[in-house]
Amino acid sequence: MLNYFRVKRQPEKVVPDLGAISVSMLEGDAHLPFTIRQLNNLPEAVKRRVYRGLIPPNLLTRFGIDPIHWTGANKAPLVFLKAEANSEKVLITAQSSPDIKDEFFALELADNSLNGVELNLVVLNDPTTPRYSIDTTEDGQPTMFGTLKRNIEAEEQAMHAGLAPGQVRAGLGGSRVVFEQLDAFLSMLGHRAYFLEPLTYASAWVFERRGFAYVRGHKLMDDIQRGFQVGGSLHQSLDDGFVFRKPDQASTVRGRAWAIHDGILDTLDLRWDKIRMVKQIGRHAGVETFPQAVY
Amino acid sequence: MKTEIKHADKCTTISVSGSVDALTAAELGKNVAAQIAGEHVNLIMDLSGLEFMSSAGLRTLLGAVKETRSHGGDLRIVSTNPGIDKVLKMSGFHNIAKVFTSQAEAAASFE
Amino acid sequence: MTSTHRITRAAHLESLDDFRKFLKEHCAPHAGITAEILYDLQLAVDEACTNIITHGYAGMDPGSIILDLEIDASKIGISITDFGHAFEPKSMPTPDVEASIEEREFGGFGLFFIQQTMDEMNYRTTEDGNTMLLTKHIINPTGD
Repeated sequence: MLNYFRVKRQPEKVVPDLGAISVSMLEGDAHLPFTIRQLNNLPEAVKRRVYRGLIPPNLLTRFGIDPIHWTGANKAPLVFLKAEANSEKVLITAQSSPDIKDEFFALELADNSLNGVELNLVVLNDPTTPRYSIDTTEDGQPTMFGTLKRNIEAEEQAMHAGLAPGQVRAGLGGSRVVFEQLDAFLSMLGHRAYFLEPLTYASAWVFERRGFAYVRGHKLMDDIQRGFQVGGSLHQSLDDGFVFRKPDQASTVRGRAWAIHDGILDTLDLRWDKIRMVKQIGRHAGVETFPQAVY
Repeated sequence: MKTEIKHADKCTTISVSGSVDALTAAELGKNVAAQIAGEHVNLIMDLSGLEFMSSAGLRTLLGAVKETRSHGGDLRIVSTNPGIDKVLKMSGFHNIAKVFTSQAEAAASFE
Repeated sequence: MTSTHRITRAAHLESLDDFRKFLKEHCAPHAGITAEILYDLQLAVDEACTNIITHGYAGMDPGSIILDLEIDASKIGISITDFGHAFEPKSMPTPDVEASIEEREFGGFGLFFIQQTMDEMNYRTTEDGNTMLLTKHIINPTGD
């Protein structure tokens, strides 16, 4: 009879290491998951066909892009796939015009060390809205979305324009369809879940609404929620001492996100770090660390 | 979880209400330790106000039995909630310490 | 008619009370779920979650615990999912409930209580988390 459990310190690969995808493998167990690396080692035409499934067709047709040919007016290519052989990553981007500044969609997936899937990047921008250069300093250095360096002036303008930290443009909306498409794509590959590390408090909130739970950092989100209540230490630090510390920031997701981006978690001796989220495919976790939140 | 202390001649009663789980068990343990430190070593733990107790609570009770006895006293339990009774029964607690259904009976056992 | 409910909370001890309340709230409309069955469910869930909180997420900022409840006429199914360290089932002697106080070890009762109160228990680790599945049969009040 089962009597006790011991903690396994070393996680196992839930998806086994397999070789290249062969026809015999395709004819075998239809439930076995494939990795991104295995997909990337398929012939170009097969890759192209398979990765078409990563983008919701109506996201492309909205910008006049043919969902099969990936071209716009005058047959200009507007969707780009980077899926190199032997690479564990795939990156798809889409632009509304040949000018790269008009990029409105970017998505990068990667295999992790357990042969699960990470969503490294998802960007949905409205190319018709103003762009804020929070991604470069005044002398042109990359800021890494404001995590490595900061362009304070651009951030302040972005915040007043209603952007969240890390955004260069207003969001496009329609992320629900993108995530549903991603669920379907990964299910087709045979995966049951995928993982990500949210860049900001605002992105974590969006992912909660999309049905993600936390692998790490659920308690941190609860601590933040408590800290921003009236009387909490984060609320008290919104003392109007700086542009990113206005008292009314406690009551919105974006406001909190800017304060956290600005380092307010130092008051709790904490950092926005090591938060990890998981999406169980086909399921919604129902997490709401900021109930009745106003974005 | 709330506790209420009542001192009598021959024993002290700690009445517990609410829930004793892994979160609140430590607090109950502290209450017991405080009584023993105050030389109240004949203790009655009245659990009839508890809605819930898990193995964490059980561990605290076992610790309390050990501590009171090692100080020359003892521990009695009062339990009337069937759920709590079941936890005590599954763990064989009745073989360790006496369980009563009223404070009066428990107190009388210290005469 | 099966009813299903889900609650997700951070894996810290403060959440234990939320899980008990959740079970009480959703079992209340079912006449076949007696107070004893409810206590059994609350106890099993409490012990499983305490294990996850204490050992599964030890050493890290805890993630979520997802509790799913499924009730039909004849049984209650509970699944408890977490994303911490996986557990390995091991055998050891059942906690010796008959031993005198001097010989007794503290602890070890959590899993024992789960096994005593539930009719079935399963544990698996898959890509989408570690899941403990518990089943409790309801004795049909009409005696079918």
